[in-house]
Amino acid sequence: MKAIVHGSTRLLMASILLITGTYGSSAHTAEEPDTTLLLEQVEVTARKKPLATVQSLSGVELQSLSSTSIADALKYFAGVQIKDYGGLGGLKTVNVRSLGSQHVGVYIDGIRITNAQNGTVDLGKYSLSTLESVSLYNANKLDQCQSASEYASGATVYLQTRRPTRDSLSVLAGIGSFHTYRTRLNAQFSRKGWSGFLDGEYLSSRGDYPFRYKSEFEDTVGHRTNSDIEYLRLESALFKGGFASHLYLYISERGCPGGIVRRLSDKYNNVGREWDTDFFAQSSFEHRFGRHHRVKFNVKYAHEYLRYNTDYPENQNTARVDNHYWQNDAFASAAYSWHPVSWLSVNAGYDARVSWLDADLKRFSVVRRLDQKAVAATQINWRDLRLAASILYQHYKDHTVTHVGAADPLSRFTPAVSLGYTLKGVTMRAWYKSIFRAPTLNDLYYTQVGNRNLKPEYTKQWNLGAEYQLSSPNWLASVQADAYLNHIENRIVCLPLKGTYTWSMMNYGETFCRGLNSTLSFRYMNGPWNFSLLTSLTWQKDLNRTDPDDADTYDKPICYSPTLSFGITAIAGWKTLSLTVSELHVGERMWSYADPEDVLKPYNNVDLKLTGSFNRFAASLEINDLLDVQYEHIPRYPMPGRQFKFTLTVSL
Amino acid sequence: MTQLRQLLSVLLIAISVTATAQEKIILLNEGNWQSDNGRMTYFENGKIVSNQWFRDVNGSKLGDTPNDIIQINDNLIAIAINWSNIVQFITPQGKAVAATEDVPNNRKLASDGRYVYVSSYGHECGSEKGLLTFERGYVAKIDITTFKVVDAVEVGYEPEGIALYNGHLFVANTGGYAFQEDHEYETTVDVIDAATMKVTRSVDTGQINLYGKMSQSGQYLCINSPGDYYDIQAATIILDCGAVISGKPDDQCFVKLDYAATYSCTTADGNFFAVGSRYSYYTSEYTFNYLTINPAEVLESGGTGGIYETMPGTLLSDLKSMTMPYGIYVNPYTGYIYATDAGSFAAAGGLWQWSPEGKLLGKHKVYINPGHFLALPPDGKFDGVDQIEADCDHTNDQIFNLQGIRVTNPIDGQLYIQNRRKFIYHSK
Repeated sequence: MKAIVHGSTRLLMASILLITGTYGSSAHTAEEPDTTLLLEQVEVTARKKPLATVQSLSGVELQSLSSTSIADALKYFAGVQIKDYGGLGGLKTVNVRSLGSQHVGVYIDGIRITNAQNGTVDLGKYSLSTLESVSLYNANKLDQCQSASEYASGATVYLQTRRPTRDSLSVLAGIGSFHTYRTRLNAQFSRKGWSGFLDGEYLSSRGDYPFRYKSEFEDTVGHRTNSDIEYLRLESALFKGGFASHLYLYISERGCPGGIVRRLSDKYNNVGREWDTDFFAQSSFEHRFGRHHRVKFNVKYAHEYLRYNTDYPENQNTARVDNHYWQNDAFASAAYSWHPVSWLSVNAGYDARVSWLDADLKRFSVVRRLDQKAVAATQINWRDLRLAASILYQHYKDHTVTHVGAADPLSRFTPAVSLGYTLKGVTMRAWYKSIFRAPTLNDLYYTQVGNRNLKPEYTKQWNLGAEYQLSSPNWLASVQADAYLNHIENRIVCLPLKGTYTWSMMNYGETFCRGLNSTLSFRYMNGPWNFSLLTSLTWQKDLNRTDPDDADTYDKPICYSPTLSFGITAIAGWKTLSLTVSELHVGERMWSYADPEDVLKPYNNVDLKLTGSFNRFAASLEINDLLDVQYEHIPRYPMPGRQFKFTLTVSL
Repeated sequence: MTQLRQLLSVLLIAISVTATAQEKIILLNEGNWQSDNGRMTYFENGKIVSNQWFRDVNGSKLGDTPNDIIQINDNLIAIAINWSNIVQFITPQGKAVAATEDVPNNRKLASDGRYVYVSSYGHECGSEKGLLTFERGYVAKIDITTFKVVDAVEVGYEPEGIALYNGHLFVANTGGYAFQEDHEYETTVDVIDAATMKVTRSVDTGQINLYGKMSQSGQYLCINSPGDYYDIQAATIILDCGAVISGKPDDQCFVKLDYAATYSCTTADGNFFAVGSRYSYYTSEYTFNYLTINPAEVLESGGTGGIYETMPGTLLSDLKSMTMPYGIYVNPYTGYIYATDAGSFAAAGGLWQWSPEGKLLGKHKVYINPGHFLALPPDGKFDGVDQIEADCDHTNDQIFNLQGIRVTNPIDGQLYIQNRRKFIYHSK
């Protein structure tokens, strides 16, 4: 009897973890006996008193989604906008609560993926297949022992690598629409407390999908050209207790297609091609001393090489460039937390990062940036009341012999505070965070565009939310809603300079956003059956508060921002068979203030995924954009319509 | 009483007809790069007739980043649509008659009524002689009886402004890709014999990057140079085409002024208006100038005279009040003055109109990045919208090839254009 109860508790705990996604602290528990692990997890993470605003997808649900990249998984979260130039090779970035993609930090196992050159992370480069969970925290995660850089973005995406629990070897082969071929090899082991994996993937896609623009004044039909991609991704990881390490290599070549514009024939297209080699090696170690002390150390080295070439005869429209960029990045952090009494913890952390950027651009020379951060934070957990407060100090210093000289050093303090209270199972939370993004090296030093006098772009966020969970041994329902206000100042944008023919980076623009994010989920399990229904809803009003004298733009909505969007995902599973249907709605978005017809139409995307396994074989069939809806994120960059994917996996 | 009313209405009609015939302006809105939203505004008699005139008339879009517009003769207008790689020919009624993509990356236009001359940053040119390729930029010559390129000649890197004087083409070279490509900025104005399409002379101005709209007043040209925004400041070159053709040494053919002429135009009395700023990446500072330039006086005095920081009426102070001036123009038929304000670049730009005396007559909302003007003769028969429908009906069945030439015997399986749409012809 006891065992049965325990079994369903385990099921429930797994579900709770699915929603909450608080995996960060699980590292040190791996060595402990199974039951203790579960109980401790319940104590620590069963979100009776949740504080941070978080959404998470993990385990079976994450793998059930019809998705290849992390961008595909994130688009189901409330408050998220994906910017996608279309196709597999197109740059995919994520924007949370309209803060801008450079305010979203993306972390693999707690260590940030950075790009000192342009500050954005192309989510298309990271695979879901090695992940245990994807979580989105508005503001930041509130763990007891965090590095300073985990506090340093307006929104944070955590990618948690899966720790293998058994030995296995599997080979996958896949085929998809638009001449897409994929293969993947995964080997993993788990013994004597050590675990690890080796994961290699190769993909090639011509990306020649059909598109159509039809309106009363045009009927343009064609196939996307120069939209191909080929990549090789190799990853390996090793874990033992509080130790984790990760190696990552990504080599790719892709076409960068331009917008679909009026042309008389296909004779000329705007070919640009890009080659990337990204590598990183990272390691982290976490340890607990007695009952009161915890330390965590992270180190990382990253190298990025990018080549961009436009020197092709079919490209007559731009300069013939063949530029190379090299970035190196070394990072180390230390964090310490002290837990003197059960209701109080104190956290201090220091991070240092050195980045070098070199490029064979004219009038450019190596830029070196030293970026240091320190944080002091505290958490109080007193009966039904929770409080978290932090103060972050950041210091940036650049060194370069570039023509215009280095920017002045930048140092700032920014605070964040959260307050939560639980009453009869309903947790209410309120938080405030102020944070900035420093100008990137491109913003400051890019030849003929950079502006070394840029100020940091500030965001201030206020949030008021509540969540509630209800469960029985067979089912679990949870609901959360957050209302928010954002204010963004000194936006860093590229604008033409008055009375000249040149463009430059400038601080220009203020945005004021009000919004509501809400998620509702329901899960039911009975014998071989399990059902999940996951929904998210975003309503927001983003207003341009830049120039009070400009009646055409002031207090008008921000371009590209939909007022309403929502996602619904339904998963039905029976034994090893699973069917997922998801629907994503994105409302109308304007893209210019000049004409009411300059809008991107609302769209609905319906995806289907069917998976099943038998003995050593597993198969999946995906249909994306089932209704073949033609839509865009950027005007004149059509997204692929209906597409099929089939994969077969053999485990050895 | 009835008679009086009739008389009055006849008078009113007469007045309005005269007024209608006064001001006819076609304005190109560049739109946003790669958004395929270049648009044509038609402005008549103090009113915007349409901010999407090409689409209204032709039922199709103009293209991406229209960059120049000129009148070829009474019946034909040419438009350089840069990012679409199209030179588009329309009638003064706005009706598309032909288009060619033989001159990719086209920039600016000039015409003698029989041929259209196009400058291009590109390196390929489709012509009757076959595909021509060039290492630097080139100028193409299009025959308007066939709408085909009959000849092309290589000039400097990234040639921009082009003007015709006395059988010679004057082409300002920029070398504007110098900060990305493996060559330096250009400093020359190439002179081409329009009949033979041979470069006969290259005038070295000593000033780099001769970029922007070039204005012509008889034998004089006003050429802008933005400099390199670092060490070399913006400047304006006033060039005497007559002196160039008569073979005077380079330094006697032009005067360099320490002002910017980012936006310039020719005034009714043969001067230039020049609006611009000099910008430095070192200091991030601007120096603005708003000038009236008398080219003859400038050349005579060697640059010490002929420059006036005055403009008629309130024109100068109005221009200063603009957010982002983007073009200036004087109607050569009437002397009315126009300028555009691009504003925030994401919102509709403004078209401002002044009387010849510089009295601000109105501000009108147009579209994104309005910058290139063409005035139509004031007493033309065309009166706006009425004839458009008839024109459309008239052309319904005509078939054109991709060069925009009408075809009477189409071939099966080939691509043609009918009713502004591409299709593959099948006889059955």
